[in-house]
Amino acid sequence: MNTFAEIVQSNQAWLCLDCGKCSSVCPITLHLVDGYTSPRLLVEGAVNSGEDRVLEDPLLWSCLTCQRCTEICPSGVQFSEFIHDARQLAWEKGQSGDCTHSGTIQSWMRMMTDPALEQNRLDWIDDDLRIAPESEVIYFPGCLPYYDTVFGDLDVEGTEIARAAVKILNHLGIEPMVLENERCCGHDSYWQGDMDTFRKLAELNLEAISQTGAKRLVTTCPECAYTLKSTYPEQVGSLGLEVLHITELLAEDDNLQKLFPTNSPELYPVTYQDPCRLGRFMGIYQQPRDLIQNLGYQLVEMDHYAHTSTCCGTSCWTTCGQLNKKVQSERLMEARSTGAEKLITSCVKCQIHYKCAQRDPISGSEIQIDIQDLTTLIAEKI
Amino acid sequence: MNKVAAKQKIILFTCNWHAFSSLEAAGKNNLVYSPALVPIRISCLGRITSGIILKAFEGGAAGVCLIGCPEGECRYQNGNQEAREVFEESRTLLRLLGYNENLLQYHLVSAGDGESFQENIDQLVKNIQDNRKTR
Ligand code: SF4
Ligand code: SF4
Repeated sequence: MNTFAEIVQSNQAWLCLDCGKCSSVCPITLHLVDGYTSPRLLVEGAVNSGEDRVLEDPLLWSCLTCQRCTEICPSGVQFSEFIHDARQLAWEKGQSGDCTHSGTIQSWMRMMTDPALEQNRLDWIDDDLRIAPESEVIYFPGCLPYYDTVFGDLDVEGTEIARAAVKILNHLGIEPMVLENERCCGHDSYWQGDMDTFRKLAELNLEAISQTGAKRLVTTCPECAYTLKSTYPEQVGSLGLEVLHITELLAEDDNLQKLFPTNSPELYPVTYQDPCRLGRFMGIYQQPRDLIQNLGYQLVEMDHYAHTSTCCGTSCWTTCGQLNKKVQSERLMEARSTGAEKLITSCVKCQIHYKCAQRDPISGSEIQIDIQDLTTLIAEKI
Repeated sequence: MNKVAAKQKIILFTCNWHAFSSLEAAGKNNLVYSPALVPIRISCLGRITSGIILKAFEGGAAGVCLIGCPEGECRYQNGNQEAREVFEESRTLLRLLGYNENLLQYHLVSAGDGESFQENIDQLVKNIQDNRKTR
């Protein structure tokens, strides 16, 4: 693809020209601080004004690829995919959004494309956790060991989530494999438009995973789950096994039975953040809710939940600023207004972004609510 | 001119104050230090980030040295303390990535002391070169 107009064509985004329906739900359109943009205006720019107009549009770089637009689109336009294709073209022209965290995360992704790399990424595995050199189940922790280092000051549950996952799997009688040389899944490179890095990472993972002979792969990160399950087969090839987010596995009938053999005592009210990849991308809404209810919590939903859930406000470690903080602060206020005592997340990135937003001294107590990952909550109960 | 292959380059981030003046003093006094060093002057060592350090390794640097002002003498109060944190964080990331963490070195030097600069920097370069075999 050579021009943005061709990308409009291949994604049927010309349907947007007569529409604009999703401007009413797009968090970027809603919260943009300087000026105004919308999915429809971006497409119009691509068709009428050409390259410069597209590259200047803040939506090109700040779109969260959250699929809130796709959810209500009357014409079936996959606007997030349009954004991906446009970012890929921009990338090929040497342009990209601003990397957050000084580009550390993008650097380690690119460093992981070295086939000779021998990482030390398993230090989080305590002696009381059982993993096996061969198993039918792989646990794929993704970049959690790295997040511990970069986001330690935010009290983010990084490898605590990984330890909790293995503890639960052990409780269910599963001793998973954990790969010594797993690479970043490439989700963020893909959505940033850096297809070269994405393909290299994906090919290394494909080779490492497919030679294990495992039948199932479990992740605690919805972005890893979606990428391994859906993006890999489209772009590099299928892993030849079933990919599951941990909530899918745990909500299977016999696992629910083993985890919660008796009724749990009734606990305080909590609310739940649907991650975009787990919810709108993979359609997994009910399983985390079943688990929360089985734990004994009273689930109170936010105004925007399940299909209409709001994204955690930052995507692919690119472009984070006032606009993103507004999306996050509003969402945290929404969570508080339910009366819940805890906001449950099932994606480490949602947790990172909300805990970072909570550091904002101006918003103060209005956005304070306890945040915990569903996996660690379940692990505490067993 | 001694051309150093990209693979052997050691990137030296120096702050603009004590550290840079000691590097200049070494130069003025014709004190010889390793040709592998590529000095990059930044306003304060507190400006360094793990992203910049990883970027150097990603680009094939053999090592990275950070040199700044002595404790309590940072021109901007706590830049060297911040750099210390970034240094620790970056070493952990390097270890995770399977690099030898000693390929990243950190040192604080006093202004205008060319000889001590030469001595210390020779030691940092040696630390890096001794650790290269592992990666
Ligand atoms: S993505 Fe769908 S809803 Fe949004 S402007 Fe285009 S056609 Fe309309
Ligand atoms: S994917 Fe989300 S952020 Fe991007 S245009 Fe659609 S609604 Fe807006």
